[in-house]
Amino acid sequence: MAYLTQPDYVKYICSCGQLKPITSLYFCRHCLKIRCGFCICHEVDSHYCANCLENMPSSEARLKKNRCSSCFDCPSCFHTLSTRATMAQPRQTPQDPAGGDTKVESKQPKKMYYLSCFNCRWTSRDVGIPDQPVASGGWPERTNPFAARVNQLLDYYKAIALQEKQEKIERERKKFTIRGKYITLTDKTGLTGAMARNIAGLPSSDSSCSAIANFVPSQASAEVEELPEDYYTKEVNLNQITSMPQRLASPEWQPVSVSRLHPLAKLLSVKRSQRCRVCDHNLTKPEYNPGSIKFKIELLAYYHVPEVKIISHEPVKAGEKTALLLKLTNPTGHEMQIKLLQPEDLPPPEEKEEPKSIEKSLEKSLNLEKDTSSYKAIEREPQYSVTSRVTSPPTALTLAQRDDAAEYDDDAQHDTTE
Amino acid sequence: MALYEGIALIQEKQAVVLDLGTDYTKFGFTGEAAPRCIVRSEFWCAATRRYRRVHDYQTADELYDNLVHMLHLLYFRHVLVNPKERKVVVVESLLTPTLFRETLAKVLFTHYEVSGVVWADSPRLCALTLGTPVALIVSIGAKEAEVAAVVHSCVVLHAMESQPLGAHAIHAELRRLLDEDNDATLDLPDLVIEDIKVKTCFVGSRSRAQQWEAARAARDVQFACGERGRLRVSGATRERAAEVLFARDNELASLPDIVLQCIMRCPIDARRALAENVLVTGGTASLPGLRARLAQELRHLVTRPPYASRLHVREFKFHGAPAQDSAAAWLGGALLGAGEAGAARATPRDVYARARRLRDWRERLMADFSTVPEWDHMAAVLTCYVAYNNR
Repeated sequence: MAYLTQPDYVKYICSCGQLKPITSLYFCRHCLKIRCGFCICHEVDSHYCANCLENMPSSEARLKKNRCSSCFDCPSCFHTLSTRATMAQPRQTPQDPAGGDTKVESKQPKKMYYLSCFNCRWTSRDVGIPDQPVASGGWPERTNPFAARVNQLLDYYKAIALQEKQEKIERERKKFTIRGKYITLTDKTGLTGAMARNIAGLPSSDSSCSAIANFVPSQASAEVEELPEDYYTKEVNLNQITSMPQRLASPEWQPVSVSRLHPLAKLLSVKRSQRCRVCDHNLTKPEYNPGSIKFKIELLAYYHVPEVKIISHEPVKAGEKTALLLKLTNPTGHEMQIKLLQPEDLPPPEEKEEPKSIEKSLEKSLNLEKDTSSYKAIEREPQYSVTSRVTSPPTALTLAQRDDAAEYDDDAQHDTTE
Repeated sequence: MALYEGIALIQEKQAVVLDLGTDYTKFGFTGEAAPRCIVRSEFWCAATRRYRRVHDYQTADELYDNLVHMLHLLYFRHVLVNPKERKVVVVESLLTPTLFRETLAKVLFTHYEVSGVVWADSPRLCALTLGTPVALIVSIGAKEAEVAAVVHSCVVLHAMESQPLGAHAIHAELRRLLDEDNDATLDLPDLVIEDIKVKTCFVGSRSRAQQWEAARAARDVQFACGERGRLRVSGATRERAAEVLFARDNELASLPDIVLQCIMRCPIDARRALAENVLVTGGTASLPGLRARLAQELRHLVTRPPYASRLHVREFKFHGAPAQDSAAAWLGGALLGAGEAGAARATPRDVYARARRLRDWRERLMADFSTVPEWDHMAAVLTCYVAYNNR
C-alpha cells in the first residue's frame, strides 16, 4: 500500500532492480515486465500553460521560449499575477473653468489594465510599467542587453567554422588533383579565381571573411568600476535589494534592485508520455486536452500486479515467532495463482537468448535502432536489507478475479454489518 | 520520404548547454544569449523527503541517481525538450573529478540517449566570449577560485592555479562573524547565509582594508530572519566576510597571489598580454567591489617581492564578458555549440558505446606523444604558439 504522507511500507522490485511503491510502477503489456520511472523513456508530449490551460503547439512554444504570452508570474514572490482594471481619466489640458464642462462629455474615462499580485501586493506600477489599454498581451518586452554583442560573436565563430571547412575541402581537393601536366583554362587566359567566381555569379571567396574582418575583440580597460564612496556610510534598505531566487528567475537581467523587477511570463508545463525502452511501446499517453487528467494509454502496474497490504504485525523480537497478516488483492479480471517465495529463491534475471538463426541475427544487425545495450546498463542488482525471515505458507494461493459487481451490490453486506 | 530525411539531416536539433555547478546549474540552448534557467543544483528526494544536492555523493551509483534526477528536472520542468537524439555541450572545470565526468557521460549517453556530447572546459569557453586571442580567466565559483591562462585557445595547463577561495569560504567566514556579532551559535542554514551575503556584504577598497580599524565602519544592518527574530549584521562583518579571499599568509595562496603566480608560470612572451586581458567571472565575482579590490591588490602586489623581481608586468586591464557573471562560461558553451565547429567536435553516442570512457587532458600529459592520435593537431597548435611567440 502506498500512502500520501507516510513512507512506503510495501515496495516492489522493478525489472531494473529499483525498489518502488506500486503507485509509481508501470506494467509493459508487450514485454510482460514491471517497469518504473527509472527504466523507461520519458518524452515531451504537449506544451500547455498551467494557469490558463491553453495548449501551445511545440513549434510555437519553441518560438516563444516556452513562455505563455498572456500569463505572468510575480517577480517578487512567484505567485501568479492577476490583471486588474481601473478607470483612467484621460489627461485634460488645463483650461479656463467656463469652457471646461463642454469638453468633459467627449472625454470618456478609459479602461486601463495593470498587473497585480494578490499575494505580496506587488504591482506593475511599482516599477513604472505603463498601464495597458488591452487586458491581455501587449506588455513591453525587454531585450537582453548583451544580445547584439552575442550575435556578433555568433556570426564571427560561424564564419570561422565555415572558413575552416572550406580550407579542409580545398586541402582535400589539392591532394587529389594532378597539376602541371595540363594547362588549365585559368592559366591560359590569365583568368584569376576571383574573376571566374565573379563571372559565374558565385559569392566572392572573401565574403565570409567580412564577418571575421569586421569583428572587434573585446576591449580591456584599466579602469575598474569602484564602489561609490557613500556606499560605506549609506543606510542599507533590505527591501530594495533582491534575493537570489528573484535575481535568477530572470537569468538575462539578474536585477539587483527591486525597482528593476519585471513581470515574468509564465513558464509552460508539459504533458509527458512514457515509452518502454526495450520494445518501444507506449506505457502511458496523456490526453491532449490540458484540462483533462485522463490517459489514452495507461499501462500501470496497479491494474495488473497483485497489491500487497500489511494489515497487522506484531513487534519483531529476536528468536521469536510473530504474526504478520498480509492482504493480497487481485486487480485483474482473471484468476491468479500466487506463491510466496524467499528472497534467495528469486529466479535470476534470464540472460538474453542467443540469436537462433541467421535470419534473426541478420535482422538484429540491420535493426540498428533497437539497441538494447543501453537498457542493460541501467539494470542493477536490487538493494535491500533483511533483518528477519518470513515463513511463508508452502501452498500456492488462488486469488479470485476482481468482482466488478461487488461495489454495487451493497445491500447484502451492509445489512449484515449494521 | 527521401526529401524529409534530407531535411531532417540538415536541420539538426538545437543542442543544449549544461553547466552543472556545485551550487547553481545553468541550462539552456545553444545560440542564445542567456541560459533558460539558473537553478540550485538540487532536487526533491521523495525517499528522504528533503532536497538533495547533486554533488553530495559517496558512491558512483549514488551520483548516477543524483544526475538522473537532476537532468530529468532540467529537461522536463525547465527547458521542456526531449533529451533523446539531441546534442549536449557540457561546460566543465578542468579539475572535474574523473568519476563525475564518467558518470555524467554514462547518464547522458545510456539513460538519456543523447546523440553526442561536447566536453568543453570553462576557461576556454570564457575566452570565447571575449574573442581575444589571449586571456587570463579568473573564475570564482562556489567552491574554488580557478585561474587559467588561455593562449590562442590553449589552456596553459602547468600554470593553472586553484584555491578553495569561493562562495563557500565566504559563507564560512560570514557564519563565524555573525556568531560573534550576535554572541550566539546561530547555525543558520546555507540559504539564509547566502541571502545575508547577497543583500549586505561587499568588498571594501584596499586602503580601507589596510587601516580598517581607523576607517569609519560601514552601517549595521538588522536582518529579519523568520522566527529567529532580527539578526545584527555589523558593518565590520559586511566588509570583512569576503576578506578571506585576500588574506595573505606565508603560503601566498590568496586570490591576487594565485593570479600573479599563474602569470609568472606562463611563457614569458605571453605574460604582458595576459595581464592586459584579465576576465574576472563566476558567481562570486558579482559581489560589489570585488573586481576593484582585486585590481588594486594586483597592482600593489606586483611591485612587492617575490613578484617584483620576476614579473615585469605593471599594467593590468580587465574585460567585461557579454553575460552575467555567473553565466559567462555557459555563454561560451552556447557560442561553441552554435557553430558547426562545435557540433563536429562532439563525442557521438556510438563512439562512446564502443569505448565506454572519455578522453581527458591528464592522460595526454602522461602519454608518449607520438602514440596520441591527436598528435598532428597538437603539433599544429604548437607551431601556432611558436609563431605567436616569434611575432
